[in-house]
Amino acid sequence: MYDNVVDSSRDMTLLEVLDRVLNKGVILVGDLVISVADIDLVYVGVKLMLSSVETMEQLKDGKTPAEVKRIAGTSDEF
Amino acid sequence: MYCITGKPPELPTSLEISGLKYLTFDNLYVVVKNVEEEEFSEINFKKNLSDIPWVELNARQHVEVICQIMESNTVVPFKFGTIYHTEDGLKKFISDYSNALIENLKQVEGKEEWAVKVYCDRKALSLQIDELSADAAALEKQIMASSPGKAFILKRKKDELVKNEMDRICKIYGQQYFDDFKALSQKYVLNNLLPNEHTGREDTMILNAAFLMCKVKVGDMKMKIQTLKKSDEKSGFNIENTGPWPPFSFIEINEKK
Repeated sequence: MYDNVVDSSRDMTLLEVLDRVLNKGVILVGDLVISVADIDLVYVGVKLMLSSVETMEQLKDGKTPAEVKRIAGTSDEF
Repeated sequence: MYCITGKPPELPTSLEISGLKYLTFDNLYVVVKNVEEEEFSEINFKKNLSDIPWVELNARQHVEVICQIMESNTVVPFKFGTIYHTEDGLKKFISDYSNALIENLKQVEGKEEWAVKVYCDRKALSLQIDELSADAAALEKQIMASSPGKAFILKRKKDELVKNEMDRICKIYGQQYFDDFKALSQKYVLNNLLPNEHTGREDTMILNAAFLMCKVKVGDMKMKIQTLKKSDEKSGFNIENTGPWPPFSFIEINEKK
C-alpha cells in the first residue's frame, strides 16, 4: 500500500490525530461556540485505553459510533 | 471549519462527508461544513468529547479532509471544534487575521509536517551493551576472569552500570536522531515524551518531535530513516515516522486583544 515501510502516511494512531487536532493548530478566536484548547489530553489518553481494539474494528466495519457504543455497552460516565 | 487555503481548494469527493464547501473572503478560501446543534452546540459538543468513538470518527474525518485538500493546496489547518455561529462571524475572523493567515500560508508553502518518534527496547539494548559501552565491556572482561564469588559481586555492580549506561546511550542516540532530522528540516517542535500507558508500547519513547520539511527533502528523510533502522534496530532503537500531516504544529497566529 505504501512506498516503503516508513511511508505510513495514512496509518496515524488516534493519539497522534488527537494530539494535533485538539492540541495544535490555530488558536481559536472570534465568534466561536467553544474552544477545545483546554481539554486535557491525558484525560483523553486514559479514555483511549478504555476504547478497545474491538471498538476500533467496529468503526472500521462501518458501524456508527452510536451502534458501537451500544454494542460495547459504554456509558457517558466513563 | 477545517482549513484555509490561498487558492480555490479541491474538495475531497471520496470521503463520505456531506455538505463540505468553501467560502471566499478577501482572496482566502475557507473550507467549512454546516453542523447540527444536536452534535455541536457547546453543551452537546462537550458531551460528545467524552464519547471516544464519536471523537475518533470526527477527529479522523477532520484530519482526512485537510490531508486531502493539502494534496493540491497549501493549508492553514484549524483545530477540530472550530465552530462559528454565523458566516459573518467567520468573515470577521478572516478579515481581522488576514495578514497573519497569509503570512502563515507563505511560511508553510511547499512544506509538510512529519512526526518522528523514537523508541528504545531496553531489553534489546542491554543485550548489546558490551558492544556500545566500553565500561560495560571492561567490567564483563573482569567478570570472566574472576573467581565465582568475585564474579557474583561484579555482576551486581554491572547491573547498576548497565542501567546508567543505557540511560546515557539513549540520550546520545535521541540527540543524534534529533540532530539528523533537524538538519533536513526547516523548523521543529519537540513534544513531551509519552509514557507507555499512552503509547500502548513496551519500549520506551526517547524522542517525540515534529519537523516541518520541504517536500523535496522528504525523500532524504525517508532514506535517513531506512539507514538508521538498519544500523540501530539490533541495539533496540525503533523509529516511527508518520506524515505528511497538515502543518498543525507550525502555525503561529497570535490572538489579538
